[in-house]
Amino acid sequence: MKDKFAIIFIVILGIVMYGLTLHGDIGNPTVGEFKDKLDQATNAFELSPERGRYIHIANMADSGVYNLSPEWGAVAYPDVGISKKGKINSYFAPGVAYIVLPFYIIGNKFGLAQVAAFSVEALVSIITLIFIYLIGRRVFSLPKPVAFFTVLIYGFASVSWSYSTTLYQHAFSTFFIVTGFYAVWRFSKNDSKYSWVYASYVWLAYALALSVDYPNAVLMLPVMVYFAISAFPSQKVMGNVSVSIRWAAILTFIVFAFVIGLQFWHNATYYNGWSSLAGELQKYKPTTITSDSLATTTVKEKTAIGFFHEYRIPNGFYVLLFSAERGLFFFSPIFIFSLLGVWHVIKKKTANGVVYIVPLSLIAVNIFLYSSWGDPWGGWAYGPRYLIPSMPWLALFVGVALSYKQKFWKILLACLFFLYSSAIALLGVLTSNVVPPRSEAILLPIKTYNFLHDIPFLLDNKSNSFIYKVYFADKLTLLGYLLSIYVIVLIVVFIMLFMLYNKKDE
Amino acid sequence: MNSFTFKNRYLDVPKRVISYFSPEVWVVILSIIFAVGATTYYYLHGYIIAYGDAESHLNIAKRVVDSLTPGFAQLGGIWLPLPHIFLIPFVYFDFLWKTGLAGSIVSGIAFIISALYIYKLALLLTRHRGASFFASLIFIFNPNILYLQSTPMTEMTLIVFFILSSYYFILFLRNDKKIINLLFAAFFGFCASLSRYDGWALVLMEAGVLFLFYFPYRFKFEAFIEKFLDDDSSDQIQILERKERISGPLSWSRLEGRLIMFCTLAFFGIILWLAWDGLILGDPLYFSHSQFSANSQQQGWLARGELPAYYNIFTSLIYYFVTSAETVGFLVASIAMVGIASFLINKENRYRILILLIAFVPFFFNVITLFLGQSVIFLPGVTPITFDWTLFNVRYGVMMLPVFALFSGYIFYRSGTLGKALVSSLLVLQCLLFFMGFSSVLALEDGRAGLSSFIAKIPDAQGWLEENYDGGLLLTDDYARTISIVRLPIKMQDVIYIGNKPYWEESLIEPEKYAKWIVMQKNDSIWKNLIDDELKQGRLYKYFNKAYTSEDILIFKRIADN
Repeated sequence: MKDKFAIIFIVILGIVMYGLTLHGDIGNPTVGEFKDKLDQATNAFELSPERGRYIHIANMADSGVYNLSPEWGAVAYPDVGISKKGKINSYFAPGVAYIVLPFYIIGNKFGLAQVAAFSVEALVSIITLIFIYLIGRRVFSLPKPVAFFTVLIYGFASVSWSYSTTLYQHAFSTFFIVTGFYAVWRFSKNDSKYSWVYASYVWLAYALALSVDYPNAVLMLPVMVYFAISAFPSQKVMGNVSVSIRWAAILTFIVFAFVIGLQFWHNATYYNGWSSLAGELQKYKPTTITSDSLATTTVKEKTAIGFFHEYRIPNGFYVLLFSAERGLFFFSPIFIFSLLGVWHVIKKKTANGVVYIVPLSLIAVNIFLYSSWGDPWGGWAYGPRYLIPSMPWLALFVGVALSYKQKFWKILLACLFFLYSSAIALLGVLTSNVVPPRSEAILLPIKTYNFLHDIPFLLDNKSNSFIYKVYFADKLTLLGYLLSIYVIVLIVVFIMLFMLYNKKDE
Repeated sequence: MNSFTFKNRYLDVPKRVISYFSPEVWVVILSIIFAVGATTYYYLHGYIIAYGDAESHLNIAKRVVDSLTPGFAQLGGIWLPLPHIFLIPFVYFDFLWKTGLAGSIVSGIAFIISALYIYKLALLLTRHRGASFFASLIFIFNPNILYLQSTPMTEMTLIVFFILSSYYFILFLRNDKKIINLLFAAFFGFCASLSRYDGWALVLMEAGVLFLFYFPYRFKFEAFIEKFLDDDSSDQIQILERKERISGPLSWSRLEGRLIMFCTLAFFGIILWLAWDGLILGDPLYFSHSQFSANSQQQGWLARGELPAYYNIFTSLIYYFVTSAETVGFLVASIAMVGIASFLINKENRYRILILLIAFVPFFFNVITLFLGQSVIFLPGVTPITFDWTLFNVRYGVMMLPVFALFSGYIFYRSGTLGKALVSSLLVLQCLLFFMGFSSVLALEDGRAGLSSFIAKIPDAQGWLEENYDGGLLLTDDYARTISIVRLPIKMQDVIYIGNKPYWEESLIEPEKYAKWIVMQKNDSIWKNLIDDELKQGRLYKYFNKAYTSEDILIFKRIADN
């Protein structure tokens, strides 16, 4: 199997799988359709993050401005704030809304505004899958079946699936980090006339990553440090250190400056100043929410970094990695193999260690950052959604583990773990992301706070899938639909692992 | 692509400056600068005696030389005496006593010596000056230790003796022919055992390690010995010598002789303390179960269901691990843990298990005391928010700082250029996180706002008394910490507290006999004696006017004619 064919297969698989599970429904939702309808579990706007982003898109398409009318503000509640100038905005960074806007406009013409907007997530996820494969093959030097398997792990055996079919920031963040890393790697090879293109892209990816989610400024730092090291390659010459300057990396900073300039303009226009962030807006309570006559605001000063603190790390670390609520290893135990991969990398001590150190740093920064976040659960969510940017790298380290001494028991175990992880991922993407944290679940009639929360939806045939709702709801139970998709995944995985096992002696 | 060459000669000037002093001297210079800087900062911000305990330590030392009934009996029987003895020459001066700077001097000196010996200890393990310097920097730059070294708290005194004893003990393990090192280890262990109770665990562990070191249990495992010795050294003569030592007939007698020699000195402190408590207070174990002991205080938390680690080993481990990791900062703690793992798996390190056993004494001690309910730590993020307090005793975490510093230095030594750059960057980043407030300076926070703090709960009565006190003896229950004596315009000779026999006892019967002022807090000893007892209450009101009243505190002033 040539890489070209593998990539084509990834694209086809991505289109099929994401297509079958994309959240949504027919139509161009209007203000009145959200409350108690579309904002219910197993509907396209079941949670405020997707609502908050979507309504900005709809608002921009309708009125040409980013800030919301009070009616749209009520839809975005509770993740909505108000600037000192009285402009109502959601708390989310604006990048996703701007990027998705053209697709919304096209979809709007066909009565599929919401589906078109959400499909952008699937699109960037498919591109991410391609780059995971390329990194696996070219950077990590993984065998083809293993590189393909890493793609399957990220795409269809992790909760990234649930967030590749709805309007969140995670797919975009991951996309920019993965492609940014690949661009830096290509840039660092210094063997092509396209250095300027790669350098421009790295800056662009960093700026856009910032615009879709502010913490990406920190999350993507390892990639940028790698970029900086590549921009100033050094070598020892007769006892002295000779440092070179690759001007492409420095001059293309203008790309970053331009995009960030736009971000500053946005902040100045819609928030409290050029350096103000969406999360710093004061809380906005729509009149429909309170009995007060007018919208009210809280007075406490908010800061973007105020939610991060070291004392939260122990709990956050536990919640994100091990807990039954959101734990990575609980939802996707296939990632346990990544620890083995990391161990092999450390033991191997390759000369090209930087290509492993950067991903390891990305994972470490991601875990460190969101462990210290006030809400590591990610609100009501399915799995450890804040760790999605780490999942491509974890999947690649699973690949490293599998490519090292390909023993039968290891492949069998990986296969079993994959089956479990994929089933959980599929359950989430087909039903709902509306899973409460434990502290809130115990107050509810259904006291479940992990994927078990979605089982009743499955049994009641309540799905978030656009295709299922429109084409299969009256022909097939949701369980049947789930099993059909699962079988596709299984066949692909078994083929890959069979190929891997048969090639172990090569 | 352009390039420039960074020539070695550019570094000539910095290299010349650096080589002007040896690394040891640089460590001392840096630690002095940081110690003085931190003390100045905390003095100007009024945090030197932020802890209630800080003032108590100053007062204990002060009473030895300057009180109604001066003498060494004032050292009491709960807190170990050595830190107070060190304070005595300084608290003699009222300025140093009242400002707490007496404690800053003692702790500051301990800090500087600790930094130097962390360097030496790291050098012993790595033989790498850069790595050893890095280890000392981890220690010097830590804001928690910088705060504690500016206070009269006793942690710094323990840390310095802990490091010194460990250093000489490991030196002895490396070459057991130099008995003087074992004697030094025992002497500093003796000092540690008279500084804080953690020191008792240290000397016990050292004795245990000494036993393991000489115990000829290995003679049955010849193959194992061969492997063990081969790992340690390639010098055949040394191998034979060590083989003889390990399994030869001399090993028993060496074990016996050296263990007795070590224990005689190292355990002398413990015996002295037991004897002291027995002679002065009538109970050798007074420190462990009197009403003023930590154990008694923990019973209150237990009754309230707020002793989470009590007989829960997992919670005890979590509490102390997280406390120590947050004290050094999670980034540095991560570096150190990699260093510990690396140290453990590297077979070139002689006696690595024994060294780790010594290094982890603070960890074992604190986990066990938490487990047994002898101590309590409340830590934000770990302690349930439903508890009355979520910040208390977190300073215990600093006991692990030398260990984290040491093994951070070790991983620095084991790393290549890229690794060294990464580890150094993480140290810089950790400092930045402390500076930004992302990482809390827990020891300071507890002093400012935790349950350990006095300044967070200074009562109005303190201010009132500062304005109205006009001389005369003042009767107060020092244990209740109703008021701060160092903050009052009063001399220690004018204070009657529980340690002033017979003034205290007589005042509780005839309050007018000595005291002009009486300060009492609800349910303290004075309140129970003079308010709860109606007969005595009548006498109190006969001779005293109630000059100040609040919900919990009453201040009486003797009627002028009486």
